[in-house]
Amino acid sequence: MNFFLKQKNKNKGSVMVEILVASAIITACVLSAMAVTQKSISVSRQALHTSQVAFLLEAGAENTRIARDNAWSNVVSLNSSEQIGIFTRTVVASSVNRNATTGEIGSGVDDPGTKLITVTVSWNEGGQSVSKILSFYISDIFS
Amino acid sequence: MIKNINKKNSGNTLIETLFYISLFAVLSIVLIDVMIIMTKSFKETRIQGELIQGSTILERISRELRQADDFSYGSNILTVNTKDISNNSKTVTFTFANPNIQIVDSVLGNLGNLNTANISVSGFVVSPITTIKGKAANLSLSIRSNNDSTNRIENFYNTVVLRGDYQN
Repeated sequence: MNFFLKQKNKNKGSVMVEILVASAIITACVLSAMAVTQKSISVSRQALHTSQVAFLLEAGAENTRIARDNAWSNVVSLNSSEQIGIFTRTVVASSVNRNATTGEIGSGVDDPGTKLITVTVSWNEGGQSVSKILSFYISDIFS
Repeated sequence: MIKNINKKNSGNTLIETLFYISLFAVLSIVLIDVMIIMTKSFKETRIQGELIQGSTILERISRELRQADDFSYGSNILTVNTKDISNNSKTVTFTFANPNIQIVDSVLGNLGNLNTANISVSGFVVSPITTIKGKAANLSLSIRSNNDSTNRIENFYNTVVLRGDYQN
C-alpha cells in the first residue's frame, strides 16, 4: 500500500512538467504554422505584383518600338522614368559597340544604328525594394 | 488510512485543476486566434490567385493584337482583323460587357468569357496609337475578385505594336 502511494506522489511533479512540455511543443507548432500562412500572403501578393510587372516590362519594350517606328532619334536619347500605380518604370538607351568585320556585338566601334534598351520596373514589396529588368537590342530598320 | 491520504491529495488537485484550466484557456485562445488568422490568410491567398487571372486575359488579347493587321475599338468592343492558320482573313471580337469580357472568333464562333466566374472585369480600355510605320494599341484592364469583400481593384497595362500592320 505504502509503496503504491509513494509512487503516486512521486509521479505528480513529473505529470506537471510533462503537460508543460507538451503544451509548449503544441504552441510552438501552432505558431510556426501561423508564420507560414502569413508568409504565404506576402508571397502570393508578390506573385500578383510580378505578373503585373511582366506586362509593364513588355509595354516598356513596345513603347520603345513605337518610338523607333516614329523616328530613330527618339530612341537614341531615350531616358525616361514614369510612375504607374505602385510601380516605377525607367527606360534607358545605351550605345552598342559592334565588330566591323564579324558584325558581332560587344567589341569594336560604336554602332549608331543599334541601341541597348534596359527597361527596369521597381516597386516596394513589404518594405523591401524589388526590381525586374528587361534588356534587349533595337535596330534602326526603317531609315 | 485511505481516507487520510485522499484528503491530503484533494487540496493539491484544486490548485492543479485551476492551473490546468488556466493553461487550457490560454492555449485555446491562442489556438482560436491562429485558426482565425489562418482562415483569413487562406482567403487572401485565394483572392490574390484569382486576381492573377488578369494576366491571362490581357495576354490573350495582346497575342491576338500583336499578330493582327488592323483593329478598331468603339463602345467597349475591340475588333481585331487577323489571319487564320491558312492565311485567310478573319476577325476576333472582344466585347466588354461588365463584368465579363467575351471573345468571338469569326471562324471558331463564340468562345465564351475570358474571365472565370470568380472575377469581375470592372474596366477595359483600348487606346489606339498611330505611328509613321504602323499601328499600336495601349491596353488597360481592371479586375476585382468576387470573393473579396473589400472590393480591391487591380490594374494590368500593356502596349502592343501590331506586327501585321508593318507589311502594309
